[in-house]
This record gives sequence, structure tokens and C-alpha cells, in this order.
Amino acid sequence: MHEQEFHQLVNIEQGLVSPRIFIEPEIYEWELERIFARCWLYLAHESQIPEPGDYVAAFMGEDPMIVCRDPQGHIRAFLNSCTHRGMRVCREEAGHTKAFRCPYHGWTFDTAGKLIGVPRLNDGYFRQLEKEKWGLIEVAQLATYKGLIFASWDPEAPSLDDYLGDMKWYIDLMVDRLEGGSEVIGGVHKWVIPANWKFAADNFVGDMYHVPVSHGSGLALGLISERDISRGFQVSVGNGHGRGGADQWDVESWSDPASPHLKFLYENREEITHRLGQQRAQILLAGHGTIFPNFSFLDIPGFLTFRVWHPRGPERMEIWSWCVVEKKAPPEVKNMMRLAYLAQFGPGGVVEQDDGENWSQCTLAMRGRVRRRYMLNYQMGLGRQQVRPGIPGQTSPTIWSEIGQRGFYRRWLELMTAPRWSDVNTGGESNGRDESPV
Amino acid sequence: MDEMRAQFEAERFLYREAKLLDERRFEEWLDLLTDDVRYWMPVGNLEGAGAPDGQHLSYFEDNKQTLMLRIKRLGTGFAHAEDPPSRTRHLISNIVVEAFTEAELKVSANFIVFRGRLETEEDLFVGRREDVLRKVDGQWKLAARKILLDHNVIGAKNLSLFF
Ligand code: FES
Ligand SMILES: [Fe+2]
Repeated sequence: MHEQEFHQLVNIEQGLVSPRIFIEPEIYEWELERIFARCWLYLAHESQIPEPGDYVAAFMGEDPMIVCRDPQGHIRAFLNSCTHRGMRVCREEAGHTKAFRCPYHGWTFDTAGKLIGVPRLNDGYFRQLEKEKWGLIEVAQLATYKGLIFASWDPEAPSLDDYLGDMKWYIDLMVDRLEGGSEVIGGVHKWVIPANWKFAADNFVGDMYHVPVSHGSGLALGLISERDISRGFQVSVGNGHGRGGADQWDVESWSDPASPHLKFLYENREEITHRLGQQRAQILLAGHGTIFPNFSFLDIPGFLTFRVWHPRGPERMEIWSWCVVEKKAPPEVKNMMRLAYLAQFGPGGVVEQDDGENWSQCTLAMRGRVRRRYMLNYQMGLGRQQVRPGIPGQTSPTIWSEIGQRGFYRRWLELMTAPRWSDVNTGGESNGRDESPV
Repeated sequence: MDEMRAQFEAERFLYREAKLLDERRFEEWLDLLTDDVRYWMPVGNLEGAGAPDGQHLSYFEDNKQTLMLRIKRLGTGFAHAEDPPSRTRHLISNIVVEAFTEAELKVSANFIVFRGRLETEEDLFVGRREDVLRKVDGQWKLAARKILLDHNVIGAKNLSLFF
């Protein structure tokens, strides 16, 4: 496959995307290289590894990672693979340690990745092994943004700050609305859906359209409010990120004790407004969104969830999903958020169950040779983008728009066709743009 | 009550319950639960395991109201994950009565649940259940169920079924 062929697969100006990018192994291999080995990927939340020696497992694409705090207290991320024969040096999902001892031949690495122990160094290697060259393989860049840990394998990638760009404005809505920020509830929902990872990223980046139908049972049962999902706007934030949600909350209604989370936000509304500013506080709950490529969130009345869609082959993703709470919330509010999250989301959640059904059946229905010739329609709201004063990004007139998906696939195409980061447009006027206005 | 009787009562209850689930007679299944039932499937992964009860994630942490909601959902016409319905087979074995009185049985059992869906979708769930059965008006009812899956990463696209 030649990289110029990707232009036939994604046509943003006309709102067309080929099914091939959800199915074909060759395209998937390109993605692992050009997207997952280059972009800033979400690894973990700082609250998971508070002390030196704490570690937690993660993935970057299909590569297993160890994220840990070194003896100096710095966050580090390494490939979880021994430099000798490639064995996984850590087989726990989280914990605390001084060192990782490889179970195969016993090479031992400290939490700064340094090779500190090699059996038979004297009578096997005759002291000629250059230990300093064989430490754990470390990411090229690692940075945090308000508790969120990201890393990239590409030394040429723009800084995390530039990469997130205007998305930071929306991330603050979730993790910086109150003093102390956020923390994650222990445990991770992990499950597998037989569908390409982009189905999920695309769904979260801008698809409110599916909610009344896919999650019709949630509306019928009164779990999802038709009013909440019908107002607001979608945003193509730039750099492939997107977000959608309500434009103005009726904050007074949040004083109802029936929802402890909303009541907690209501009681803290002055602090929230002070931290975020009047205009931003009005769109407080950020709705749904994706940080390119595979880190998504849902911030709605009752709970907040973060999730990563790990690629596992062209037709398979592994989902890791967390429940996130305000650190300063009282225990009973945190518990109610936890319960609300798991009742509706995760593999057992009554809302999320139906997403997996759609994505897996889309995959089966598009595998055939003939179906792959016909483009998918991403034209909703095409040419109708608008700028809202004070709101970063290109926005849609109503919540029903695929502007977010078009921004996502624009960035996907740019990266797939760009040999280096310097060939990618990472800022300026046209970034995050939709098609020219009508 | 003697041990043989307790074993018999426990087995009869669990087998009949499994049959109701496989025949999708969910309303009748709900009648087998006490009003204060706790239906709980903690996450099986290592992180968070050992955290105090109620402080880490579960796949299910239901009471009778939320279970009723799950069943009601199936009738909304929008429960796509179960429309058309899955075919399930609950195989319950290794039933051990851990403790018993006239009014209460503590029972552990192993399970394999097979789910077939549409044409070729197949899932297998394996684990153990720890149940408390309580006698209410002369009838055994399920008062608590803790479901321990032996899977860490769930190999299925959802858990739209009951265990
Ligand atoms: S593979 Fe790790 S020591 Fe040999
Ligand atoms: Fe959804």
C-alpha cells in the first residue's frame, strides 16, 4: 500500500470515509506505526502511583508498558519487556516494588529502568556486558496534564501542551473544576469488543446522534434525559480532538438531593465558577469526547468515566475503563458516582451494553469485498460550522453533527500520510477547521 | 434440618433457578430474590482487589430495584444487545453447603455459562458463586450472591446476561 492511497479512504470535504480503515490488516499495521508509535497516548492517572516504587500496567498500542515512580519521585514509562529475550518483566497490574526481576534469566531493573542485576556476570559475560546500554526501553517523551499521564514514542512529537492544544480548556472542565482535582476509583473495567478501535473513538468524539436510538432503552427507563442530550453543540477542537455536550445547564435544578453528585457540584458552584469562569462553568459537564487517538471520556450528570480503546488487531479492541471522581468529594458522593457509573457503563452497564453490539455487527457487515468499495456517510452538519465567542474550536449549530468525527479523521489522514511530525499541521488557523462555511 | 436435606434444598433451588434464567423467565426469577437482595460481581483484575468492600469497581452491584430495571429494559424494544435474545446455558456444579440453619443456607457453587448469539457469536463465562439463601414464607429465596469470574479481561462485548 502506498501512503497516497490513504487520500482515497478519507475525504473530509465530502464527508466520506471508507469501511476499509475498519477492516484491513495492512491499514492497521500502518496505524500502529504512524498513529500509536507517534501520538501522545494516555497511560494512567497520577493518583494511581502516588509514591516512589508504585507502578501500574498500561498499553501503548499493542505494546505493554510499566508506568512507575522512580526513586526520585519522577514518573517513568518503560516497555514491559526484558532487553535480553523480551520476557515481560512485570506480570502484576499494579503494585509497589524496588525492582523488576525478569522471570526468564533473572535480569533485574530498578524503577528508573536501569539494569542493576545480571546473573553470571562473571563466568558468563566475563564482566564485558555493557549494562548501561541494556536498561528497559523508555518512551521518548512523558508529560502530565493535571494528573493525567501521557507519553509518546516520537522524540519529534510536539509537546503535550501543544498536542492537547485547545482541548486543555475542555479537560479542565473535568479535572480542574474543584480544588484537589480528580482521582480514580480502584479497579478497571477491562473487556474486549470484536471491532476496530476507531469505532469507539469515533463514537465518543462526536456521536450524540446514536444516543436516542442505540441507547433508547436508557431514555425509556428515564436513565438518560432527552432534554440533556438534545441541546448543546459538537466541537472539532483541533489536532483530531473533539467534544460534545450541553451548552447551558440549569444549575438551580441540581440542588435536588436525588442526585448526590449534582448536589455536590451545586453546593460548590461558586468555587467552580471562580476556577473556570462564568462562561465555561455554564457548560460544566463536558459530555462526551475523545482526545486523539484513543482516549475518551464521558462527563455527565452522576458520574465521570475515562477509557482507552486499545487496538488489538484490525477487528478487535480491548477497553480499559475507569470511574473518576472529584478528590474533594465526600465519600458518599464518590460512592454514588461509582454506583451510577457501573450501573450504566462498563460491560454490565445497561447503557453501554448496546454499543458493543453495534460496533461488532458493523464490523461483520462491512467485511465483504463489495461493501468495502462503498464509502460511509460522515456528512451530518457538513459546511455548517460556526465559531462561538469564547468557546475554543469549530462548533456545530446543534448537537446533531459529525463535525467532531470529521476533525478526527482529518488528523488520522494527516498522520497516515506524513512521514514526520514536521509534515503535520499542528497549529494555526486551519487546524480543527471543518469544510469551508456555506 | 440435616446435612442431606440442606444439600438437597440447595441443589433443587439452584438448578431450578438456572432453568428459569435459561428459559428467560426473568420475572419469575426476580420472584426468587428477597426484597433486600445483594447481587454483586466485583472486578476480577488484580488492581483494586483486596480494597475494602464498596471502594472499587464491580461489574454488577445491584439490588432488587436495579435488577428489575435490567429486566424492564429488555422489554423497551431498544435493548439491542439482547434483541434478538441470546441463548444461555447455565451449568451449575460443585455445590457445597458451607453452613445451614432452618432459615438460611450458605452455598458455594461453580458455574460455566455459555452464551450463543445471532449466527456465530459464542461466549463462555466461568467462575464461582457464593450465595445466601433465606427462607421467606416457607420458600427459599436468594438473599445475596457474590459472583467471582475467573476472567480478568472479559472476553465478551458485554455482560447483558444474569449469573
Ligand atoms: S529474558 Fe529477561 S533475563 Fe532473559
Ligand atoms: Fe453509546
